[in-house]
Amino acid sequence: MSEVIELEQLTKTYESGFFASQDVHALKTLDLSVHHGEIFGYLGPNGSGKTTTIKMLLGLIFPTSGTIKILGREDIDSPDIKQRIGYLPEGAYYPDFLRGDEILRFYGQLYQMGGKALERRIDEVVELVGMGHARRRLMKGYSKGMRQRIGLAQALMSDPDILILDEPTTGLDPLARKEIRDILAGLRDAGKTLLISSHELAEVELISDRVGILYQGVLQTMGTLDELLKDRSTTFEIENLASDKLKALSDAGIDAEDHTDDRVLLKIPASMPVYDAIALCKAHDAQIVSMAPKRETLEELFVRIVGSAEAGTQPETPEPAAAG
Amino acid sequence: MSAPDSLRGIWPIAVYTWREGIRKKTLIGFLILSLLVIFGSMFMTAFMAGIDYSPSGEINIDVESKLVKDVCVSAIAIFGVLIAIFTSASVVPQELENRVIYTVLSKPVRRYQYLLGKFLGVQMIVIANLLLMSVLFFIALWIKEQIIPTLLLWSTLLTYFQFLIVSSFTFAISCAATSSVLPTIAGLFIYITGNLTNYLNDVFKRSSGSDNPFESAVAEVAFYLYAILPNLRNFDLKDQILYLAPNDPPAGILIPNLILYGVLYALSGYLLAFWLFRRKEL
Repeated sequence: MSEVIELEQLTKTYESGFFASQDVHALKTLDLSVHHGEIFGYLGPNGSGKTTTIKMLLGLIFPTSGTIKILGREDIDSPDIKQRIGYLPEGAYYPDFLRGDEILRFYGQLYQMGGKALERRIDEVVELVGMGHARRRLMKGYSKGMRQRIGLAQALMSDPDILILDEPTTGLDPLARKEIRDILAGLRDAGKTLLISSHELAEVELISDRVGILYQGVLQTMGTLDELLKDRSTTFEIENLASDKLKALSDAGIDAEDHTDDRVLLKIPASMPVYDAIALCKAHDAQIVSMAPKRETLEELFVRIVGSAEAGTQPETPEPAAAG
Repeated sequence: MSAPDSLRGIWPIAVYTWREGIRKKTLIGFLILSLLVIFGSMFMTAFMAGIDYSPSGEINIDVESKLVKDVCVSAIAIFGVLIAIFTSASVVPQELENRVIYTVLSKPVRRYQYLLGKFLGVQMIVIANLLLMSVLFFIALWIKEQIIPTLLLWSTLLTYFQFLIVSSFTFAISCAATSSVLPTIAGLFIYITGNLTNYLNDVFKRSSGSDNPFESAVAEVAFYLYAILPNLRNFDLKDQILYLAPNDPPAGILIPNLILYGVLYALSGYLLAFWLFRRKEL
């Protein structure tokens, strides 16, 4: 599997304080790789180093140490590498006095496109992002979702191999999110490589092939969703039960996850056979209403990983996958 | 014939800068004020015509004309340089603030190309404003005197090169700044000191050769400042406009030399901008 983006021992340290006397470590020896044709979810809380990484990939800021390779090359600032990268920043601004297709014409010209080829490409990308009907409207008449689509369209102008998207669905309504998600999945299916930085974990979980979770400049974990979301369990919904019986179940390894007025949700650990759990419930007069298999969500994994990192403990997940 | 790779991207950025810049309320405000002053000068002289200035009870036509020229040339210089400073000081910090710079520099655009495009866009705004103000001044003068003095045309040209110098250094400082406040102040400082460099020369002449170490130090500082700072008074033809015949050639100056002087200072300003921006963390 070929690597499209490779980061090796990437470190970024900012000088802070009145006499630049303090060092702020935004990234610490980051090893990360993004494979060809995948959607990579780059996650982390605010200030974890995601934007710093993206800015270094785009040559907007410079590493303190370490190497960046894009498409196997270290000269990431060269025009022919940038020609193959599309970028959508978070909360991008587009002037109100321009029309949708004028914005695309401007960005297309920066890719050294012109004439009929440029107009043809504008036609293609506005159709791709579903903006054909509104391309001649002024930006001030655009909704947030429409602006985001135009932003995505400008990132696609050069038909890039790599797309770097910062919060592509944040602030959009559910319908617009679904449409953007479908577009991104379609791009992946067309062979593009996508690096998505987002706080919308449910969205990322739906479309990502692999994810990496960053916290305080350190990659805490990286892998496919199947590798990372291993914590599978079963939940039993039971009729309300006396507290002594719940305690007895807890002692046997079945914890109550949630209570409502007349129901209790029990979490059956993956290590316990379901038939044993049923037998235990029966032994304690617990009336089972429903049973459901459950897999840990990306959000739960994220909270667990970041929580462990904050507490300085080792999270119970597979070891971070090695770069590459 | 297509543009070479090193120049592509510059023109779209310049046009974008121009289109955005001409919509700025501050600039429109300055322009309206300058136009009010230019046309106001005509009404002012009309009002003064009723004042008893001479034994015959009429204002001297020459004084009236000088007043219009004086007010208009000053208005163009002041409002023009304010427009140049505010535009130059804000184009780069504004794009940092609204993140347009990230999308532009993530494209195959080199930093020097981006800066050239922005600088060119600024100059288009400055030139357009100067031309608009000058044309209205010429119209005002035509209504008054039915002439368009060639001296005024030369003055307009040289005024632009004065703006170019101030604009280039303001732009350079804005490339190191995160907001437009500091470069605006710096631009005003450059304009004011650039008009006072003759005084620095006087200070140097008076203080040099003194036994007093403080005065010697002052002389040295004055000398270096005089040598480094552009002398913007060189571009000022106001006295000649007021006192020479309208179609006299500019006296005591060599226009090509002054243009070269302006271009070299502007080039230094641009190179400083590039040096400051080359490795700037965005």
